[in-house]
Amino acid sequence: MKTEWDIIVVGGGPAGIFAALEAAKAGASVLLFERKREMGIPVRCGEAVGKVDFHSYTEVDPRWISTEINTFVMVLPNGKEVKLKSNIYAGYIINRDLFEYDMAARAAAAGACIRMRSNVCDLLKNVSGEICGVRVEKRGTFQEYHARIVIAADGVESRIARQAGIASVLNIRDIEPCVQATLSGVDIPEKALYLYVGTCYAPGGYAWVFPKANRCANVGLGINGKYSKRGRNAESYLQDFLKRFFPEASVQRYVSGGVPVSTNLETLSLKNLLITGDAGHMVNPLNGGGITHAIESGIRAGKAAAGACRKPGEMQSLFDVYEKDIYRRFGKNHESQYRIKELVYQMNDEEYNRIGEEVLKIDLKKRSFLAVFRKVVKEHPGFLADVLRAFTGI
Amino acid sequence: MLVLSGHCDQCGTCVAVCPANALMLTESALVIDHERCTLCALCVNICPFAALEIKHED
Repeated sequence: MKTEWDIIVVGGGPAGIFAALEAAKAGASVLLFERKREMGIPVRCGEAVGKVDFHSYTEVDPRWISTEINTFVMVLPNGKEVKLKSNIYAGYIINRDLFEYDMAARAAAAGACIRMRSNVCDLLKNVSGEICGVRVEKRGTFQEYHARIVIAADGVESRIARQAGIASVLNIRDIEPCVQATLSGVDIPEKALYLYVGTCYAPGGYAWVFPKANRCANVGLGINGKYSKRGRNAESYLQDFLKRFFPEASVQRYVSGGVPVSTNLETLSLKNLLITGDAGHMVNPLNGGGITHAIESGIRAGKAAAGACRKPGEMQSLFDVYEKDIYRRFGKNHESQYRIKELVYQMNDEEYNRIGEEVLKIDLKKRSFLAVFRKVVKEHPGFLADVLRAFTGI
Repeated sequence: MLVLSGHCDQCGTCVAVCPANALMLTESALVIDHERCTLCALCVNICPFAALEIKHED
């Protein structure tokens, strides 16, 4: 069994798969470990993704697309619907299981080696303390694998970054415990994303209803970690939500997961190590979206790692560029989104209702996210700078 | 002692917040390292399913 590799990727989600694909395409020998027994399963995700971004990363197989989205509806605590219509919201609800399964096959076709049911339990370091590989447990037996570079794509539960000495433990207020049911037999508009805001639905988070094909829908919610304390967990809020809005629906699948809602990890690389996707907390802290960030960071990490294998002397500069590119592409934006989140999730239901009613007075054609935030700004003037930063990328 | 008393979906939310590195997921289970666990109960509170519990030994 080959135990010496150029690059080892830990984790077979979108970040890991794209990292392996890019590194293999660039000629590196790549080994990817996934803990689970099937690529893409379970789907711990609302599966919403921006259309333009998604197409920019790979050739999209039509089977991956479940529904196309063009409308965004915010439901207030009082039940009123605030519709926002704009091409900004052009997106898909994807079949993430098919997407990841197929992309893993593409990575393998490009030369990457994929190993399932393999739990990476330790990061290995050589005598000089440099990262040099991983220790893997597979069905009770342990094996060491060595590599020049390790890419951590091991998700929100990442232990690789910690073992490398990076403080990646999430503060309880910076994680959203989420639960989602995929329902069948529901009658909802096919092209609209519904977000239910307010503490009555999901304190410190929101509930979502994302339509999927064949009258199915991903219905889930996340609450802020600090609200879990009061004898309520995410599941109990979802049960209330389902009873209220979908009492008759059947459940096709039921999943839970933790979504990091912090800013990106400050350190995303060390000597011989790159951190990608959820493991690097690369999730928009306001809306919890992270698929495209995982893909993009995976691609960039795969390229940087393969480049560093070709020219070891340039590792430091390639990894510095990786960190800077991630920050430029979305890390900086997440800092603004984080400040917005901090403010928005403090609002009580009366404030949500009041602001929502104000937004309803705006003509539908002019009703955008920015318009909503302008209303929030009126009530919280200090908020303006952050909103502008978030939406202009300054 | 920290124990799994409810349904665990192996979602890893508890692992993400454990400050003591006492939790790990394997292919099909959550493993608790009782030597490392400090009984801080962050994982008990954050679990989406309330699957974790601290049991007091009598």
